[in-house]
Formats: sequence, C-alpha cells, structure tokens
Amino acid sequence: MAKYKTAPLKSWQRAKEIRTEYYQNYAVAHEKGGLRWAGGAWTFDAIPAGLGDDVYPITSEPYGATIAFQKDFSDRCLEATERAGYARDLCAYMRNYWGSIILNEYGWVDPGEERKPFPKPDFVWQDHICCSHAKWYQVVSDLEGGIPMYCIDVSVGPYEHTTEHGLEYLVGQMHDGIEWLEKTTGRKYDDEKLIEAVNNTCRSTSAWAKVCALNQAIPAPLEEKTMYSLYVLGTLQKSSKDVADFYEELLAEVQDRVDNQIAAVENEQVRVMTDTQPPWGFLRVFRYMASKYGCVSVGSLYTFALIGNWIWDDEGNFVPRPTPQSQGLVIKDRDQALRVLAEWELSKPEWQHFYHPKYKSDMMIQIAKDWKLDGVMLHYNRGCEGLSLGIAENRLAILDSGFPVMVFEGNMGDEREFDEARTTARIDSFMESLDVPKLN
Amino acid sequence: MIETFQERYENRHEYAKQWKDKTGGKVLGYFCTYVPEEICYAAGVLPVRILGSHEPQDVTEPHIFAMYCPFCRDCLAQGLQGRYDYLDGIMIAQSCLHIRQAFTSWDLHVPTDWSYFLPMPHNVQSPRAVPYLVEELKVFKKALEVWTGNTITDDDLKRGIELVNRDRQLMKQVYELRKREEPPLSGLESMYMVVSSQLSDKEDHARLVEEALKELEDRTLGRPIGQRLIILGSEDDDHEFINMVESCGSTFVIDDHCTGTRYFWDEVSLNGGDPLTAIATRYVNRIPCPTKDWPLRTRLPHILGLAKDWDATGAVILQQKFCDPHELDIPAIKSALEEQGLTTLFLELDVTVPIGQFKTRVEAFLEILDEDDLF
Amino acid sequence: MITTGIDVGAKNVKVVIQEDGKILGKGSVLAGLDMGAAISEAFDAALKDAGLTRDKIEKIYATGAGRNEVKDADDSYTEVGADAAGAAHLFPDARTVIDVGAEEGRAIRIDDRGKVVDFAINERCAAGAGAFTEAMARALEVPLEELGPLSLTSTKAVAMNAQCAVFGESEVVSLIHQKTEKQDIARAVHDAMATRITSMARRVGVEPPVALIGGVAYNPGFVDSLKRDLEVEVMIPDEPEFISALGAALLAAGMTK
Repeated sequence: MAKYKTAPLKSWQRAKEIRTEYYQNYAVAHEKGGLRWAGGAWTFDAIPAGLGDDVYPITSEPYGATIAFQKDFSDRCLEATERAGYARDLCAYMRNYWGSIILNEYGWVDPGEERKPFPKPDFVWQDHICCSHAKWYQVVSDLEGGIPMYCIDVSVGPYEHTTEHGLEYLVGQMHDGIEWLEKTTGRKYDDEKLIEAVNNTCRSTSAWAKVCALNQAIPAPLEEKTMYSLYVLGTLQKSSKDVADFYEELLAEVQDRVDNQIAAVENEQVRVMTDTQPPWGFLRVFRYMASKYGCVSVGSLYTFALIGNWIWDDEGNFVPRPTPQSQGLVIKDRDQALRVLAEWELSKPEWQHFYHPKYKSDMMIQIAKDWKLDGVMLHYNRGCEGLSLGIAENRLAILDSGFPVMVFEGNMGDEREFDEARTTARIDSFMESLDVPKLN
Repeated sequence: MIETFQERYENRHEYAKQWKDKTGGKVLGYFCTYVPEEICYAAGVLPVRILGSHEPQDVTEPHIFAMYCPFCRDCLAQGLQGRYDYLDGIMIAQSCLHIRQAFTSWDLHVPTDWSYFLPMPHNVQSPRAVPYLVEELKVFKKALEVWTGNTITDDDLKRGIELVNRDRQLMKQVYELRKREEPPLSGLESMYMVVSSQLSDKEDHARLVEEALKELEDRTLGRPIGQRLIILGSEDDDHEFINMVESCGSTFVIDDHCTGTRYFWDEVSLNGGDPLTAIATRYVNRIPCPTKDWPLRTRLPHILGLAKDWDATGAVILQQKFCDPHELDIPAIKSALEEQGLTTLFLELDVTVPIGQFKTRVEAFLEILDEDDLF
Repeated sequence: MITTGIDVGAKNVKVVIQEDGKILGKGSVLAGLDMGAAISEAFDAALKDAGLTRDKIEKIYATGAGRNEVKDADDSYTEVGADAAGAAHLFPDARTVIDVGAEEGRAIRIDDRGKVVDFAINERCAAGAGAFTEAMARALEVPLEELGPLSLTSTKAVAMNAQCAVFGESEVVSLIHQKTEKQDIARAVHDAMATRITSMARRVGVEPPVALIGGVAYNPGFVDSLKRDLEVEVMIPDEPEFISALGAALLAAGMTK
C-alpha cells in the first residue's frame, strides 16, 4: 500500500513537444529562409531574437546531453573528438557536440527517420564565465570552417557586489554585439522583438524558480529526474514565449499537486538533493533510490537555478526572484532592455560560485533546510569544470551545517567515467548510514 | 652569478621574510600573472607569486576535486602546510577556474589578514575591457590604500610602472641574447631568471639582471647547443623536466609560458597619460593566457613569430594536466607550428613528472629532429 | 545467537561465524569465476573451522561488492556498514576506520556507537589499493610478501608520482633504470600509496584512534608509510581481512551498539 497517491504530470506532453519543435525548427530553418545560430545554455538568447522570428538557436549543453542519452552515438562522437586531438578531460557536452560536427550527424533523430547531417549554424552567439565557454566555440568555429563568433564576458564578480561599471561592461558588449549581428547577418535589428524576448526571459526564469519552490512540500510534487526534462526548456530558449508560457502553466499544475498531496515518489520517506549535472545516461539511478528506499531527490541548486532565477530577500530567505516587469517596469528602448537583461542574469545563482564557493554553500544549506532534506548527494562531475568548481568546499560547508553528504564521482556526458554499480553501492551505504529502511 | 637566480627560486621564503624584516612592509601572495604588480609597488607592498613545490602531498583532497590541475593543488598545499605563513595578504586576478580554487580554498582555510579578488575582464579583445578594468583598478587601488594605510598618488603609480617596466626591459635584453647561434644561457637558467622576478623585489631583481647581462655578454654554455627548441603551454617551473630535455642534446631558446615571456613581454606605456589607464591597457593587451584569447587566437601568430625569430626547429608543448584553456588551443597551435615546419612534442605535466618515461619520448623527438637536419 | 557474515570481495570470499561477539570459525577462498561455488566453499570451511553444521546458523548477512551473489542471505549490508560494525566491535574507541582491500580503499568516520558518520571510497583507481602493490612488486621482480619487509630496510625517501597505477609502473621502471636501490623503490611505492589513502581519509577527517583493516594491513611497509603520513598511531586487528565479514555477522545478530 503506497503512502501517497501519485499521478503522471499532465504538462509532460507539452514539454516534449516544445523540445521536439526546437530541434526540428533549428534543422529546417534554412529551408524557410531563416537563420541558425549556436551558443551555450547561458547565452543571452534574447538578443538574436531581435533579428526576426525565423532565427533559431541550438544550445550546446542540452544538445550534448541529448547525445549522451544515445550511448552508441555518444561513444562515436567522443571518439571522433579524441581522434581530432581534443583532450578527454574537456567538457563532455562539447566533446559530444564536436563529435557530431566532425561526423556530420545530427544528434536529434525524429521517430522512424534516419539520422540527418548536422545542420551547420550561421554564427556563434555565446557568453563566457567558465574559463572554457568562449574557447568551446573557437573550436566549433574551427570545425565549421570558420563561422563568425561573438561572445560576451559576464564575469564581473558576484551579484552582491554588482557595480555600475560592471553592468556597463556587459551592456556595452551587448550593444556592440547587436551591431555585429546586423553586420554579420545583413538583417535590420528590431528592438521591439528584443524587448519581448527580454520580458520572456525574466518570465520563464522566474516562473521555473517558483515551480521548484513548491517542491518544499511533503510529499514533494516533483522529483529531480522529471525536473530535468522540464528545466531543460529554459536551457534551450529561455527567451521564447512558448517556454515562458509553459512554465506558467506548469506552475499551476504543480500547485494543484501540492494542494492535493500528489507525490512524485509514492513512498517518500527520505528527501535529498543532488548537485551538478547528473550522468545523463544513468538517470535510472534515481528510480533505484525511489523504489528501494522511498528516497526522493527534490532537486538541486543545479535544477533550481541553472536557469531559474532566485534571490536572497530582505529577511534572508532564498526565494524565486520576482521579475521587474511584475513590479511595474515597462521596458521602452534597446538600452533599457539590455540593462534589465544584464542585471537580471547577473543574479543567477549558478553564476555566483565562480567567484567563491561560499556563495553556493550558503544557498545549498538554505535549500537543505527549507526543502526539509535528510541528506545531500554530490556528483563530482568530471565532465564539467564549471559546475564542479568548489564542490569539495561546498561539501565541507554542508557537513559543517549538520547535513550528511555523500559523494559520487562520474561524468555527465561520458559514460566511460561513470560506474553505475559502484554508485548504487555507495547509495546503499549512504542510505544505511541515514538509517533508511529498505522498502519491500 | 647566473646561479643567483636559482638560489632565489629555491630560497623564496627566506627571501620574502628577510624583505619583510628589512623594510617592515607587507608581502602579498598572488596566484596569477594578471595581478597588476605596478599598483602593489606603488602601495609599498611586495607582490610574490605563489607557486608549488613539486612534491607529492596529501592535504588538498578535501578541498579541490581531483579533476582540476595539479598546479592549483600544489599551490594550495603550500598554504595548507604553512609554508607561506609570513604572507600579509593574498590576491588573484581573474583568469582560469583551476587556480581560482587554490585562492578560494586558501581564503577559507589558511588564516590571512587580507584577500582580494580582482575581476580581470576576459573579453580582452573588446573595446569595453579597458574602461571596465580602469574602474576595477580604482577599486583595487582604494582597497590597497585602506589595507596599507598608505595613500597611492599618481607619482607612486608612475614609480611602480617604471620599476616593473625596467625589469621587463632587462629581461627582454636577456631574451635577445638567446637568439644567438650560441645562446649564453640555457632554458633552465632563463626560467630561473623569470620566475625569480616573480618572487623578488623588482628593483633588487633588475639589479641582478643588469649584472647578469654583463656576464652573459661573452658567456657560452660550454656544451653543444643541439636542437633549438621553443617550449610553450601552461605554467611550467618544472626544473627537473626542463633540465632533462636540455641534457638530452637540446637547448630551449624561447618560450611562451606565464613563467616566461607571457609574464614580462609587454610594457606599460604611460606616454604622459593616466597611469591606471596605462596599466589597464597593458594587462588587457598583454600576450594573453588562452582563457582570455578569444574570439581570435592572437597567440598563434605570436608563437609562430617567436619560433621564427629565435630560429627554433622543434616545439615542446606542455600543459598542466586538466588545463582546459590550454587543451582548447593546443590542436590549433600544434597544426600551425607543424605547418611552419616545426616538429612538435606534446606532454602533460603533473605535480611531479615521470622523468624516465618522458625522457624516452624526448629522445625519440630529438632523434626525429636530428634526422630532419640530415636532409 | 550464532550468525554468519559473508564478505564477497573483489578477490576473496571471506566468511566469519560468531556467537555473542566471539569468532567461532573463519573461511576464506579465492573468488574465481564461479562465485556461487566459492561462497559455498568458504562457508563450508568456516563451518568446519567452527565445528558446526549449517543448521546451527540462525542468520546470514552478506556484504562486499558481490553480496547479491549470496543466495541464502537473510539480509545484506554494504562494505561501509560492515567495516564500521566489525571495527567498532574490536576497537570500541576507534573513530576512523580505514579499509584497504585488493581493489578498493575506504575511509569511514564512525561515532561512539560505531555508527557511520561519513565515508569516502577511492575512485576508479587502483593506485590506492592492494592491486597497486601487486603490480609494483611485479615490476620490481619481488614476491609480494617481501615487498613490505624490503621497504622497511630503506633509509631514503624517493618521491614518486602515483596519480595512477599505469604511471606508477612506468615510474618504477625508470627508477630501476636510474639505479635506485630496490628497497628505496619499495618504500616509494608504499609512500605513494599511503599518500593516496591519507588524501582520501582526510576527506572524511582523520579522527584518532584509527583502525586499519583489510588485507593490505598485512603489509608492514605500507603500514609504516601510512603511520608516517597520517601522523597518528593505527590499530590493526589480527586477521584484518575478516573484519568486514565479522561486521556482517554481528549485524545479523543485532549485536552492534
């Protein structure tokens, strides 16, 4: 007899559709006279939106994860990248992505169809905070025959020390970027489209954070494995109206689940969070935790805040950041749109640990308290230097605050560096140490 | 007299402590060569670069995940083991994530009075970088003033600039001599000269280099030069490795390392302008670390130029294991060098290198170069 | 209550039969390809050693990487839980348990009730486990059991980079070429491995007293290096390779604190 009632998520189907359309639109953009561009999940995708409605992005990290799901294809991609002389310890997403360029095979395959050639982007539009971000795209540009690239440096220090000149540095690069886009594409830039895309960015990233905040409920309405399929839309195109609308609809559904005590894990008896990207090819580990121990992972700073925007409020609570538009701001022109966008993104929680692990530790400890956790599982992810940065210090700080921590080593996108059996053995040890009785 | 630099390298801690006793000034440990030393000198502070000791250690595992470079772990180990207990402060200028962890873990676990993070811009090819950095340097200058209690005037800044520039000019003269058919110093000796500059009071170092220049004027190595090599890549003060390569029948004549040319190549050009703007311009325009070398790879033509001007026939490309920024440039650099007719050898550095295994590869590499000479 | 603990490790199956905390019998068999046969064989050996028959055993708990292979187990515990239970029984004061087996090293911090507070396991690397010393002994052409005593005669520390076993082997070879004394190389091997284990142990925090268990605890050269590195005394039980099995047997009897 299950402890809680459970039900599939109704929004699931729509999430799947948005993702499918995204990869299809990118692939066929040229057939309709449109443009294709490539950039990272954190790039300011609202800016190229000003080039028109027929301009479609592909973001490298979710694309790399999509490949990682397809183990055979991923193996071929990783090998192709290594053969081309790129080191094995580089970003695993990018090694999958570069491999797909080298092999000239698209990582997205429509059901029942053959794998198609990789659709070459017209330009690169990237941002830079991890010390490899811009470098990734130099390689993309090299492999794609020298396509033009533009990259915005956002590393102006932690949000709590934001300065006027730091903001100006970002906004200046953005203005220059718009000129560059016009010159590179030969298109006229539309500020109205930019303003709408900025409004969507704020809306989608704030709404997703609100969805995650609902997971404080017991039982948790969502578990992390499902959340991965939802937050990913923000990494594809946070500035799109579809994505912003989707998160607002999802918010209503998840609120309904909370009100009716609909659980994600029917026998929830222990609550944990993880951190950094999971080993994408092995998400069944979450199912193992749920079925064997009634363990629900309620999320992570990663799922909450890679895309979701949060802020410490005046009372010291860690809360979804309200959008400036919801507080009455109406963006009137390009400069204001860019300033709002820059200022908004600088508060992204997942950008703070780049300056010091203490920022991330504080947020994680607060999540552990507010989401009522029993323990924390940290993925020491060999595939991502940016998000594994400072993770050992986060571990020490979380332990100091009284929460048990388990560590497992692996790689988000290179299955050769993940040992499933040893990881589940480690989960067993962790659950034993938390005195969690086995179900069945 | 050339051995003085090696002694300074080996006795870095004694030197800094003596400097402190003698002057009563503050010593600032820094983690990356993007730190504007000119401003430190203007404040009367001695900046010394924190480097590793190339010894196995077991103290950093709780603090830095093993996928980050051995150099950052080696540096942190020095702090955790108390070898830098004389430092009054630490700082870093933003560069790669790896070394930043050495800084932040040091900040958390090694008691230090003062620590500073300077958000050095990455987009150094953007016209927006200099104005941004000027503002950050103002903030930094103010922080130094509060810390030391000394007001930093424009004259102080100019003095700092002249002091550091002087050492740079002298080092460049030394490097000019390495163009000779018979370079008067080895790559190892040269490495000691550059790195000792990072560990010494600049005035003192410049004086030593001036003396050394006199000695170098008609010095020879007293051994065959063998193959002329360029060495390039990430941080490298692995004397054991450099020495091994040179004792296999070769001489490093030029480098692109932050423990070499990248550190001192570019001067601050004041031209009667605002000192902070001049300093900012120098750090934005210097030969970059790969983490800042985008969207264009400006290091490519620079490295090719060095190889040509110093008449190198082969290139040893080194990187600290797991150094992502370098790993992302190496395929491009390797093929550019090979197109220019240079044979390359790629090796990864760890805290200590497996000398025997590397020696085999170095000897094979030199054999190839020797054979090339025959045809 | 008479109970059995079966530890199915990477290299050996070890069985302990206990009653009221007293060991009645032990058995150890090399784990071959037929795991089921090895388990039965080791169990039979332990029964014989104890002078008991199978029906006298009230409960069986399994542990070790292959614990799911023990078909008649009443329950199982992970190596971490079993290590902690076994070590805490023998050394009630121990606060840190280090287990170095054939292919894995573990460090476990336990509280005054023998409960696991934190643990670390070395990752996908043989440089911190028994397999490393075996490979290095081969490279040195010294029988494994002589490697430890040999290294104790060394008077000189030679640094060696043991980031991985592959590198380790080529380093040993190059040290041989450099005419480094064999005993100094043996010590370098143990020092490198101890550095690796100490690094891992520092992750959970080395709180004394420390108990060292697992088969590698027989190697006096490693123990010497480890003590030097940890800078604390280490307690080693007799027959350290059976502690995990003992822990499982104690857990089966509900005999943990």
